[in-house]
Amino acid sequence: MYVIKTSNISPQNTHNGQFMQQTISYTGNKYSAIEPDYTAMIRPAQLRRMGKCIRMGTGSALPILQDEDKLDGIILGSSEGGLEDCIKFLIQIVDYNEGTLTPTNFVQSTPNALAGNLAIMSKNKSYNTTHVHRGLAFENALLDALLLFDEQKAETLLVGNVDEISEYNFNIETKADQYKKEEISSDELLNSQTSGTVCGEGSSMFLLSSKPTNAVAQIVDVSHICYPQKEEIIAFTNTFLSKNGLIPADIDSVIVGRNGDCKTDFWYDLVCDEMFKTQNLYSFKNLVGEYPTASAFATYFACNLVAGKKAPKASIIHECTVPKTILIYNHFKGEQHGLILVKQSQL
Amino acid sequence: MDKEQLKKELINHIITYLNLSDYTPEEITADMPLFGDAGLELDSIDSLELIVMMEREYGVKLTNPTEGRKILIDVNSMADFIIANKK
Repeated sequence: MYVIKTSNISPQNTHNGQFMQQTISYTGNKYSAIEPDYTAMIRPAQLRRMGKCIRMGTGSALPILQDEDKLDGIILGSSEGGLEDCIKFLIQIVDYNEGTLTPTNFVQSTPNALAGNLAIMSKNKSYNTTHVHRGLAFENALLDALLLFDEQKAETLLVGNVDEISEYNFNIETKADQYKKEEISSDELLNSQTSGTVCGEGSSMFLLSSKPTNAVAQIVDVSHICYPQKEEIIAFTNTFLSKNGLIPADIDSVIVGRNGDCKTDFWYDLVCDEMFKTQNLYSFKNLVGEYPTASAFATYFACNLVAGKKAPKASIIHECTVPKTILIYNHFKGEQHGLILVKQSQL
Repeated sequence: MDKEQLKKELINHIITYLNLSDYTPEEITADMPLFGDAGLELDSIDSLELIVMMEREYGVKLTNPTEGRKILIDVNSMADFIIANKK
């Protein structure tokens, strides 16, 4: 399937297209998304009800939807949906003793609220699905799109992700040792050698087509595995490549989800040391933080790279050639591992 | 609390509950229509929020939906209903 357009809201300046030229450094363990001025695209009456998750997703999707009158489906991946609104709603249930509750928090908090909102705003009555497989939610959204194209049930699809930082989740994950306890700069994150990572958020949207006309990139395949043994991950990656008629040497660039957590970054070393020693190697979580659907940002990044844009310095671990065939390897907490293969559209 | 005070308080609650960040309390008058093309242009979800607000803040329940059309006209009518029904 081919990527015709991309759009992104993240802790970097992706909403205005400046991300590839200049990156923003962060200190601390929360990388919050930089949101654009939504008032030009979302009616005030709608905007005032939206939590950050819905705002980011809508703000990221609308620039694509506005020019697209024929869309065969909206497929999103989100681990948590509007978690902040969900928690507000649950607190209301307790505070008001299961009495009369306000509808807005509930309506906006379900994971599929964004896909529903987008369908209503674009008057799109076609296929509408949200995948919620935690750290593989975006991979499953891509897989859904691949299957629809393969079965010729769609020609054009909007596929994307959204996940937000919620105070509640952040506090729980902090107690579970998921985030750094020390103040650390994003420039030093990947070499920190300490436990935990940093929390991020964002939304990436992709207009996908079954045809290569005007494509900026091609998403060739996606696969995932849960709770693998160390030795299984190499075999899994090899199987994925050979399924697509490739060997490791055919991959010129790898984007890894390295996040500075010494407990789980070894997975990336395992794969790269064994299979991709000489290839370009890029990171992205030192730019946008860790969140369950962060691989969507990596896909956005890969699309920009194969479209000919130069990688920001902060993302380069090793670079020796122009990226044309990119493998994204990402895992969530060392439990859910995903591979996404992105190629230059004319290859 | 007299009616004027109640109306001022209601306006502040409306702004908070409905997240009307575009408005200051001074910009909302007691006779400004809540629904329709003029005034605040609220919608059906807002009406539910207003009903919840009246119950939580003033202990006043609006159980008959047809009553809502007469009560949720503007801040004046809401204040009248609260004064008449507050225990």
